[in-house]
Amino acid sequence: MGDTFHHLLLGFSTALTATNLFYGFLGCFIGTIVGVLPGVGPLAGISMLLPTTFGLNTTSAIILLAGIYYGAMYGGSTTSILMRIPGEAASVVTCIDGYAMAQKGRAGPALAIAAISSYVAGTLSVVGLMFLAPPLARFALRFGPPEYVSLLVLGLIVLGYMTGGSVIKNLSMIILGLLFGMIGIDQMTGYFRFSYGIVALGDGPGIVPVAVGLFGIAEILATAGLLHRPEVMKPRLKDLIPSRQEFKESWWPMGRGTVLGFLIGIIPGSAHIISTFVSYAMERKISKHPEKFGKGAVEGVAGPESANNAASCGALVPMLALGVPTGGIPAVLLASLMVHGINPGPLFIKEQPVIFWGLVASMYVGNLVLLLLNLPLVGLFVNFLRVPYKILYPTILMFCVVGVYAVNSSMVDVGIMSVMGVLGYILRKFDFETAPVVLGVVLAPIIEVSFRQSLAMSDGRYSIFVQRPVSVVFLASAVVMILLAVKPLIWKKSGFREKLTEAQKGG
Amino acid sequence: MTIDRVSGAFLFLLGLFVAWEDRVLPLGTHGRPGPGYFPLLLSALLGILGLLLFLRGRSSRPLRSVRWEEAGHAGAILACTFLATFGIERLGYRITMILILGFLFGVVERLKLWQVFALTIGLSLGSFWVFDSLLRVILPRGGFGF
Repeated sequence: MGDTFHHLLLGFSTALTATNLFYGFLGCFIGTIVGVLPGVGPLAGISMLLPTTFGLNTTSAIILLAGIYYGAMYGGSTTSILMRIPGEAASVVTCIDGYAMAQKGRAGPALAIAAISSYVAGTLSVVGLMFLAPPLARFALRFGPPEYVSLLVLGLIVLGYMTGGSVIKNLSMIILGLLFGMIGIDQMTGYFRFSYGIVALGDGPGIVPVAVGLFGIAEILATAGLLHRPEVMKPRLKDLIPSRQEFKESWWPMGRGTVLGFLIGIIPGSAHIISTFVSYAMERKISKHPEKFGKGAVEGVAGPESANNAASCGALVPMLALGVPTGGIPAVLLASLMVHGINPGPLFIKEQPVIFWGLVASMYVGNLVLLLLNLPLVGLFVNFLRVPYKILYPTILMFCVVGVYAVNSSMVDVGIMSVMGVLGYILRKFDFETAPVVLGVVLAPIIEVSFRQSLAMSDGRYSIFVQRPVSVVFLASAVVMILLAVKPLIWKKSGFREKLTEAQKGG
Repeated sequence: MTIDRVSGAFLFLLGLFVAWEDRVLPLGTHGRPGPGYFPLLLSALLGILGLLLFLRGRSSRPLRSVRWEEAGHAGAILACTFLATFGIERLGYRITMILILGFLFGVVERLKLWQVFALTIGLSLGSFWVFDSLLRVILPRGGFGF
């Protein structure tokens, strides 16, 4: 405990320098805009802006990028409440009661409750991150290559199950991502694989071109010809203050949403989306007035908004403690650490205390900044929604090109982005999820090297994966997940996955 | 024909294609896997998943239900991304962006002429200044030095 507070002090001394404060604020500001604007998700936003961090030191860079991530979670609720359009997928549930409150003339309090819930959950879940990540990293130091392979297999199967849509389709997208990750020089032998003589492909397709193509470009291709904006309500500052009753009704949902969101956030998959559904369902179930839900219940805003912010923080636990991302956004954050020469994994917290604790402390500060940004400046962010999409999408396209080109100063990367854009567009048309592809690309080198090392250790015997206790636990859990995935094929019953799929389509 | 049947067939064929391309890479042995070992495993998995998707795909929605009404718009945007790919180093960042933004604002979106001019020049030169001059992210000048 004493050690934790000593480290936290170190973190605050890092986060509170003028430079890091500035980058934290900038990240939160950009993140809120990214969250507010439908069609620009946090994944594409972080990927596009990654090159702008190359000139920064690693701590400032990760503070900026993490600020965009949790800032987007705050901002996503604004469009949900004011326009009934989720700024990003995790705000789908907020549309229901948030917009209903807005229609009743309570848009201001709905925005305030969403911002306060996000602040409470964001801050409390950083406490969870602070106490959970270091012991988890110490435990993971015992892992050898077989344990890593089993953990990653489990993670990918859970991702396939917990992401909406068909499990078979999700698993095939993971495999597709892993195959993309095979392109380039083999780390163990130096062989060029699947690069067809293009030297620039030696380092692989790269996480940024793949992520920006699949999310940024594909989104523009799919929506540029369709989107038209409804009217936007603009609340005044004096209308923002919730009533005493609204406050009273929000505290417990906030607490429950925080715990639930953080725990679900650690699990791979669309955790931040799932957590909002679970929270909403739970609040309605335990409410004395379930009939109010859907008609402007403040609990239907407080619970899900806490849950998605806590989940985004929970997702950082396995990423920082194990070097294993649980979704597309942590995968890009992990890639950004790698770009800065940091090796993520169980040794990260021990070897890079300034970066880890600086990030933790910056999140405390960032959540406060976001609360201040999202309440008085909500009118400013609403103005971004008034920019016509026909002006917005060419601007986003320009940022995509410059962001991708700047990573390696390579036109091949821009080409990869374009191809991935087409692929993402077609995949969406055929009801495929594209986030598993990104995760596959990031995890491909780790899983392949660990797999080959495991086989070398056992002289080619696959039984090594079931001879080590930790590995057996991971693989047994993976089998349980597969059985759960097979269950609906036998018993036809609508479960949370169907609802999640619907929400993702809506988002 | 349904979307899952088409997707399944495509993934199955893709698995076969990767396995075929993998033949030039050394497979190694089980005890010493070579660079072709893991991709072959993945291609087999992709083929199996593709086959499963194809076999289970009868109940998914029909292929004709896929709407392409925005395809014309998407085609124009896509042409711009490929222009960016081939033009950015030859023409330079600023000229490429002026061409792309001018085309999108003026031809595709048909904004007023002064809006096209202001947005195209402002965004192209402004983004160059922010990224290249301010953030020191080096952007290409192209053959014209601009």
